[in-house]
Amino acid sequence: MVTREDVENIAILSKLFVAEDELDDLTKQMQEIVEFADAINNAPDSGEEFDNINNLSNVFREDVVVESLPSEEILKNAPEQAEDHFLVRNHN
Amino acid sequence: MSEIKKIHDLLTSKQISCKELTEKYLKSIESDNGELNAYVNVTADEAFAQAEKVDAKLSKGEDIGLLEGVPMTVKDNISTKGVETTCCSKILTGYKPIYNATVWEKLENDGAVMLGKANMDEFAMGSSCETSYFGGATNPFNTKHCAGGSSGGVASAVGGNIAAYGLGSDTGGSIRQPASFCGMVGLKPTYGAVSRYGLIAYASSLDQIGPIAKTVEDVSIIYDAISDYDPKDSTSQGRQGGMTFDKVNNDIKGMKIGIAREYLEGVRDDVKEAVLNAVKVYESLGAEVIYFDMPALKFALPVYYIIACAEASSNLGRYDGIRYGFKTEHYNGTHDMMCRTRSEGFGAEVKRRILLGTYVLSAGYYDAYYKKAQNLRGTIVKAFDDAFTKCDFILAPTVPMTAFEMGHAVSDPIETYLTDICTVPVNIAGLPAVSVPCGFNDKGMPIGMQLIGNKFSEATILNAANAYEKAAPENFKETKWGVKL
Repeated sequence: MVTREDVENIAILSKLFVAEDELDDLTKQMQEIVEFADAINNAPDSGEEFDNINNLSNVFREDVVVESLPSEEILKNAPEQAEDHFLVRNHN
Repeated sequence: MSEIKKIHDLLTSKQISCKELTEKYLKSIESDNGELNAYVNVTADEAFAQAEKVDAKLSKGEDIGLLEGVPMTVKDNISTKGVETTCCSKILTGYKPIYNATVWEKLENDGAVMLGKANMDEFAMGSSCETSYFGGATNPFNTKHCAGGSSGGVASAVGGNIAAYGLGSDTGGSIRQPASFCGMVGLKPTYGAVSRYGLIAYASSLDQIGPIAKTVEDVSIIYDAISDYDPKDSTSQGRQGGMTFDKVNNDIKGMKIGIAREYLEGVRDDVKEAVLNAVKVYESLGAEVIYFDMPALKFALPVYYIIACAEASSNLGRYDGIRYGFKTEHYNGTHDMMCRTRSEGFGAEVKRRILLGTYVLSAGYYDAYYKKAQNLRGTIVKAFDDAFTKCDFILAPTVPMTAFEMGHAVSDPIETYLTDICTVPVNIAGLPAVSVPCGFNDKGMPIGMQLIGNKFSEATILNAANAYEKAAPENFKETKWGVKL
């Protein structure tokens, strides 16, 4: 059972605001989706393990220094920047 | 005939210059994109610059590659250096990647002419293209219907002849479903065959880039060009077993086709009939058909949504209004800034999936949902392993129905999830599958079937798909839109 409080709590964890007038609808939708997902609990436990699809492990590259992306290029996409850094204001 | 080869012949025989060809496509985009809404960003300058290079080579009498000068499109979640890449989300408006996705780097080096970025469901989350911030792409067979999703823009552009082919991505069916809805061929490659570097992540263990084109040969040409080992993608394995193009015209006599009965349950009658007719075509070509059960498939859909949403909730944590894209205007403190940015920047479907993903990963629910889903993922992988001891490939419908009418999918999210039932198992098991047109319903809307192969058996499924295309060419139809070559 998904409650309004559950949705409010998950929203905080997800860093999302849910408006008061959206909360009932969203709770109902979440409840329906979770009920749908609950179908897996009827599945027998086969004991199959799953790690990753092609059973890869320890994917290392050669320990060679390669060129990084230039920071001035990276900063071009930032909404705000200053002195070669991302700028985060506490208030706006 | 292969659209890419046709264009290649036109260019090399000098019947048209690459610039003229590019102009033709751009003009058609101008006249037809208003109704198809396949492109969200047209890159005419970049296209002409690339076309000029091709023409210069041609005028010097130099040879050009098959893909050189061929006009195409790229889904808006594939990074294109200096060209806005938004995932059709408000939160990435204005974002211009500073590097190319490996797939685009490869095609650009091969001389591909990108006409623009293609429409998609926001962050590839949707089955109708309508969760796009820019509105949905329509179906070239009937624009009252959607193009499908999430790579709806690519399928609409190719079906509407305003791109010769396109690159899409497939997390739970996002290449195959729109290809099926728009009467096109779409290949979801084996997980790891094509580099994901530069593909903006939705669910990393399921995402895979692949082509949508008009014919199986086209898809094979593009697959050969983009599949390769890439050290920048730690899950990359590259194409294994060599090129596919020299293997798509082989005899299929004696090939064993598997049909899992679960795939035919709940499928609409017209779709079922078209798929079973295709089985008859295969039998007439000398293939053998084997029926079996795969009970594990019953759990594929919830397993998919749990894993995909869990991974999405983590992948989409990066959108914080600090490093790229949209940022809210007024806020009080950094937590408030991030919450406002994300709440204003993401659409409803994306928020739903982030919330569900956070829920199934949160303390108290992790074991019951995420861990259990991972366990069942192993069961589904094993079921396919067993199936491929009995057959060379599995034949199934791509979607249980034909393209929905515009507006239908958004009105009931869960009902829409259910329509992904036939496509998601392939992503869960990391397998390759190609969707091929296999008929039309009584309203003239295309029906698609998919051929599912064992890992890295792209050549096998493309060969079988090509054999069908040659035996049933009536299912590959032109639409009224776009460029007539």
